[in-house]
Amino acid sequence: MLHTDRTKPIYIQIAEWIETEVLNGNFAQDEKVYSQYKLAEMFTINPATAAKGLNLLADEGILYNKRGLGKFVTKQAKAIITDKRKNQTLKGLIEEIVVEAGQLDVSEEELIDMLQTMYKNRKGDAK
Amino acid sequence: MKVVACENLIKTQGQLKTLNDVSFSIEENTITGLIGRNGAGKTTLLKILAGFWRGTSGDVKVFAESPFNNLLVSANAIYIDDQMDFSTALTIKEILDEAGRFYEKWDRDLAQRLFDYFSFHPKQIHQNLSKGKKSTFNMIIGLASRCALTMFDEPTTGMDTAVRKDFYRALLKDYIAHPRTIIISSHHLEEVEDLLEDVLLLESGKKHLHLPMDVLKEYAVGLTGRTEIILQWTYHKEIIYQKNMDHGTTYVVVKNDYFPLEQAKRLGIKISPVPASDLCVYLTNKTKGGIDDVFK
Repeated sequence: MLHTDRTKPIYIQIAEWIETEVLNGNFAQDEKVYSQYKLAEMFTINPATAAKGLNLLADEGILYNKRGLGKFVTKQAKAIITDKRKNQTLKGLIEEIVVEAGQLDVSEEELIDMLQTMYKNRKGDAK
Repeated sequence: MKVVACENLIKTQGQLKTLNDVSFSIEENTITGLIGRNGAGKTTLLKILAGFWRGTSGDVKVFAESPFNNLLVSANAIYIDDQMDFSTALTIKEILDEAGRFYEKWDRDLAQRLFDYFSFHPKQIHQNLSKGKKSTFNMIIGLASRCALTMFDEPTTGMDTAVRKDFYRALLKDYIAHPRTIIISSHHLEEVEDLLEDVLLLESGKKHLHLPMDVLKEYAVGLTGRTEIILQWTYHKEIIYQKNMDHGTTYVVVKNDYFPLEQAKRLGIKISPVPASDLCVYLTNKTKGGIDDVFK
């Protein structure tokens, strides 16, 4: 689950992994997340790198620190992560799609059409 | 606490300065990768830290003492490489039994478990082991000695991929359980980079850089685009690496400082991160080109 993109700093990959776990409900509000040592062992990475990932999430208000006990999920964690992913990840992906469509001379209507087809197919699969 | 501190360290061997004015320090309980091309001075540096060799000039401190001929350093530091010589009168199992007399924190039990895991035969003689088996055995000595300063010089020489992976995992697990200062030299930065906290890059006996691994990963960016646009964009920049590709396209690697990436993207320049292992190769290249330039 890590290293899909070897060039992305690992602490960011760690932070993103924890975010996904929070979104999936694997870490609930006020629940303790894995320690830097547990993460280091899970992913075979340096504990200092894992700590950097945890600190990043603490800085963003997704985790809070309990002295000597570890890091816990904040109340607003899910909202912050969702907001961040919408405004950064999703927007970035859409930008890439629009640039690629431009290079292929795919019109705006055509692109929206493709999106709608994709939605329809997914709904069909879900049934 | 600083476990290692070098100041203006110079080592002259014959006419050649194998270490040229090297200054750096290493904090306690960190894992540092010592990276550099063949002949960059990695082994020389490690042998001086281990107290095997004496520097020609400059100051070296290990545990705040001069390491050469020093009992404290000898007892608390271990240097592992593929030249290690053990008595041929002892079987490899007997070597494990005896090693505890030299190293206070020697973990005989861990040594045995690794010994069994890697399927060594107790009656074997070290000298007769294959290259990969020798490296594996030496690694066991390095891990089980639990020395406050543990140095691995190209530890994976001859190991197959599975053993290398096991070694990195064993190293990390034992480091988490028993923190200590580890220096590991390697040609394969891509294999060890996840384990490292810091990287010390040597080039022709000089320190090229000493940075946290994460900083190194974001140290440079790669730009690909039409040659004329790229050249215009990088006009006053230091180019770390440049490769001209077909159809008038060029790939350059430049330092990642305040580069207007968004603007570059809009001009059709493709921006890509530079893997740390590639970056180290580019940084220590003697020329700005590559092997292709030899064949021009």
